[in-house]
Amino acid sequence: MRNSGYLIRRFLQALLALFIIATLLFFLFRLGLPDPTTVLVSEGLSPEQREDVRRQFGLDLPLWNQYLIFLQNTLTGDFGTSFHYRAPVSEIIWERLGNTLVLMLAAIFVSYGIGVPLGAWLSWRRGSSVDSWGIFFGLMFRSAPMFWTGMISILIFGVWLEWLPTSGMRTLPYEATGFWDKILTLDFLRHLILPAMIVALFYLGSPLLIMRNTMLEVYGEDFIEMARAKGLQERSVLFRHAARNALLPVVTQLAVTIGLAAGGQVVVEVVFSWPGLGREILNAVRTSDFPLAQACFLIMATFVIFLNLLVDILYSTLDPRVRLS
Amino acid sequence: MCRGKVASRLALCLALGVPVALQAQTAVEPIEIITTTEAYDPIRYEGAYIIAEAWRELGLDVTVSPTEFSTLLSKFYDQQDFAVTISGWSGRVDRLDPQFYLGTLSSDNAVMGANNPGGYSNPEYDKLFEAQSREFDQTKRQEMVHKLQEIAAPDAPLAILFHRDEVVAYNKNNFENMKAMAGEALYSEWVPMEAKPLTERKTLRYGGPQSPDNINPMLANTVWAWKWMRLYYDRLVRLTPDVEVKNWMAESVTAIDEQTIEVKLREGLTFHDGMPVTSADVKFSYDYLVNSDYGYFNSYLTALDNVEILDDLTVRFNLNAPSAPFGSITLSQISILPKHIWEKIENPMELAPGDIPTVGSGPFKFSQYTLGEFMKLDKFEDHFHADEIAIDSVEFQIFADSEGVFTAIQTGQIDVTAWRMEAGQIPLAEQNENLEVVSVPDFGYYHLTYNLRKPHFEDVAFRRALTKAIDRERIVNVLLDGRGEPGSSVIAPVNAFWHNAFTERLDYDMEAAKTELEEAGYSWSSDGKLQK
Repeated sequence: MRNSGYLIRRFLQALLALFIIATLLFFLFRLGLPDPTTVLVSEGLSPEQREDVRRQFGLDLPLWNQYLIFLQNTLTGDFGTSFHYRAPVSEIIWERLGNTLVLMLAAIFVSYGIGVPLGAWLSWRRGSSVDSWGIFFGLMFRSAPMFWTGMISILIFGVWLEWLPTSGMRTLPYEATGFWDKILTLDFLRHLILPAMIVALFYLGSPLLIMRNTMLEVYGEDFIEMARAKGLQERSVLFRHAARNALLPVVTQLAVTIGLAAGGQVVVEVVFSWPGLGREILNAVRTSDFPLAQACFLIMATFVIFLNLLVDILYSTLDPRVRLS
Repeated sequence: MCRGKVASRLALCLALGVPVALQAQTAVEPIEIITTTEAYDPIRYEGAYIIAEAWRELGLDVTVSPTEFSTLLSKFYDQQDFAVTISGWSGRVDRLDPQFYLGTLSSDNAVMGANNPGGYSNPEYDKLFEAQSREFDQTKRQEMVHKLQEIAAPDAPLAILFHRDEVVAYNKNNFENMKAMAGEALYSEWVPMEAKPLTERKTLRYGGPQSPDNINPMLANTVWAWKWMRLYYDRLVRLTPDVEVKNWMAESVTAIDEQTIEVKLREGLTFHDGMPVTSADVKFSYDYLVNSDYGYFNSYLTALDNVEILDDLTVRFNLNAPSAPFGSITLSQISILPKHIWEKIENPMELAPGDIPTVGSGPFKFSQYTLGEFMKLDKFEDHFHADEIAIDSVEFQIFADSEGVFTAIQTGQIDVTAWRMEAGQIPLAEQNENLEVVSVPDFGYYHLTYNLRKPHFEDVAFRRALTKAIDRERIVNVLLDGRGEPGSSVIAPVNAFWHNAFTERLDYDMEAAKTELEEAGYSWSSDGKLQK
């Protein structure tokens, strides 16, 4: 129970970090982005009409007043009303967040599921041509811009071969009673394949290379020598002794990746017209939709902060040498 | 000795004196051209560099600042913090009436945040502008509108760069009788009513990167919302592709006098829920807008004093002053809402998305709207025009960008592109044997606006010279591949009735530009810099 004090402290630190981020976001957008009604000039609205709209948004209030309202609402989980859609922000973003997470988690699952064992295997075959090719492809997909790989995949599998759909989450029109009803279908899976594959290829490099390099370090440790000396099979040395110890940096990377995944991969969501949070963030910033932008970034921050916290805690379980204090 | 000193001094003065006299003129300050980023619009971005190059030839110090679009708008309209900005006005069907575009040069609109950010102010123009908006006689108004363009052109308050053709594509195996309309291309209100399906599928599927902000007729502030909603909310009159007023819900529209318009509704009109459309609904819809905080249509309604019900099917619009655009623009843009539904709604601007009524009386009725993904309407069988409509439903698929739209029309996922294709996509679409590429002139325009409050830009000769140094022909030919027309007036040539083709054009001519500057007292320093 020595740990509980530590946990509470870390939790409070996380909350403080969130508060600071929320404050920064609030002022950053209001001071950095143009007036949300400016774009209405193109629609022919006069200055007086725009003033009416500003009043509807609550932008006529003093900044500190807006800030207090924002804090109060955020604490109660109310992210306000989107300036652009004129709909409650929470209604918009939970759906979008779900869409993004299902894509990103599928991609992460595939990339780590393949990357980790593959990295271990490459380290075992280090110096061989398999190793070189593995590193080459890992790095290549890591460095290739996703809009490019995405468009190539659309061209090949969507336009030429006509195997897979190229945009959206479902064939339109569709009717779904809820989120699960929408994604638990074959049609959804077909839509998921291309974007998830592109993101997975992009992510593959990290676990692959981290795993391979850490494995090489672990091979030099005494306990590996010991295991070999005991006459254990090479396979057993590799996976039961070395791999388990090499997992720690991969876990950190995984947590950070999942954390950032909440914000989606804007590029992939745009290329595949995936109705996710990343696209919404882009729109929100473009239209100076303060409430929507704040909420999106706040959700991303929450994910990153709490997954980091989770990793710290997990560490002590995975590696007994790490003590929480 | 003494004389020698004087002589040498004289020589010194002579040697220094000449350049001193020349330097009494100061160099013209550097000019910053604010334009869009390359990603937002490569045409305006590249165009800025072409213009900058020519202005440098005039001896000016020119920088180009590609600016994120909303920041650009903010600097342009809200802060008027610019010397030169390249921007544009989109062509919307209601802007075919000259009122809106001519208004962008009226000094009333030169205040912060309004749509004359350049600050052009000409009492003669203002007076005539005011007069034309009250002129009921089309021929007289046309004369005034032509005169207004004639007044503004030589003053060069802005350079109208070009009118960009709207180039879209549709799948010709699936539909025929697709008639494009100027400024609207194929996403007009008429195409869904006229399209003839060639296959079993009777659903016309549009695809585009723009989506409505919301579908609340008392809140929507974008043209993309209204382009969709006008299909299921009906209007008293509609503007035909040739921009003639066509009686629609109205059986007749009669001008009793200059300030009184009487509208008689067709018999037997019903809303999608089966309730009859009566004059009470018409009065309600207009009053509702006038009394609300929703400002999108306010400029059309300023002339309206009140709406009077004469009988079940007849209403009278009493105006507070004669208004030329009321009978065409206002009557064709204001939607008729069902009174029996909206009168029960206390605060229409705060409706939750799920509670927004979607009952109209238009040729199509609302079916589905999934935010950011998809919209669908079905044909309304009881509409008076239903027999002419060959399709069963209209869909709109929302994409993240125009690349997605283009892929979708290639793979047959959609039938029509709702918004223009990128320059690079056009030749690919032309090669595609399933697609028909359609190009229509636009009456919107891209412009380069001078800030008349800044030094030198208040000088007509300076603006005229700069305008003459802009090779609009080249911009259209090189950047638009010839798909457009160089501009000369805020009223586009395609808007033939109102466009004045005989204004001073200030066409590209570097020599004339230099002469203009010289005559206005400008000169060039020894290193070629313009000074005055």
